[in-house]
Amino acid sequence: MSTHNKDELEQEFFELTCYMVTSARNLIPENKLYGPFRLVDAVSRLIDVLQKLDLKSPRLEAIQKQIEEDKYTVMESEEKFTAFLENLVMSLVPLMQDPK
Amino acid sequence: MTISVIYNVCARLGHERVFGGNDSELDVWEAIQGRRSIRSFKPDPIPDDLIRKLILEAGIWAPTGGNAQTWRFVVVTDPSVIHRIKMVAPGILGNPPAVIAICQDLDEAERKGSKLGREVITLMDTALAAQNIMLAAHDQGLGTCVIASFHAGAVQQILHLPPPIVPQLLMSLGYPQIKPQAPKRNSKVVWFNEYSQ
Repeated sequence: MSTHNKDELEQEFFELTCYMVTSARNLIPENKLYGPFRLVDAVSRLIDVLQKLDLKSPRLEAIQKQIEEDKYTVMESEEKFTAFLENLVMSLVPLMQDPK
Repeated sequence: MTISVIYNVCARLGHERVFGGNDSELDVWEAIQGRRSIRSFKPDPIPDDLIRKLILEAGIWAPTGGNAQTWRFVVVTDPSVIHRIKMVAPGILGNPPAVIAICQDLDEAERKGSKLGREVITLMDTALAAQNIMLAAHDQGLGTCVIASFHAGAVQQILHLPPPIVPQLLMSLGYPQIKPQAPKRNSKVVWFNEYSQ
């Protein structure tokens, strides 16, 4: 069972919803690289919420770690950011499991 | 020309120091080149007086088109208000203990500077004030990040800004947790007298 109550979790999901909806609106005129950045940042935030639900998942934690380590390459260069995303996608494959 | 070469030239010309205020910790060159966009902050609060100083002794000393001075600064230090702003400001990353909303009174800007003042000059003035604040903040050991990724209408509502007062930039402010490396600069951007390919 989660150590957070339903209201706290609802609030967490509400905040994530706000982030994603506002991002959707703002991304229309923004730098095109901000789109993938917001997506992976949202993934990291989603994993945060799942951890608060006590959904322990080493593979999700590993994905989040990669995101947090390299997401700001978006500010450095498109090449580096693309390479980070490419590696991130490829790192998912060995983590795949059949649904139980 | 490197900074040290510039210093040497200035020294030869008899200028001990090119820039720098009386009580400044940092040389202006160091401030400009040492400032980074900070996206990870320590939770330590910033004294209100220090934030006020950054705005009143740096921000409002920026040049302003036609001396309009139509900027307005709303400092947010209440964690619950910062929390709400973050929900509609995807560009705010990390947990800054303070956020400055740099706003403009667009009606006053139009009265003083016509359509150009309202639509263009205010944006420039906001950016100029922001840069002054960021450099002064850096001088005081604070980190900043200037943010355009936010929903202006939603921030207006959260901060109870009346219609002509529009937030144009947000600035997160706090003591840096992590100081990133400087991205490379493209130096091939300067021409004298005429542009050439």
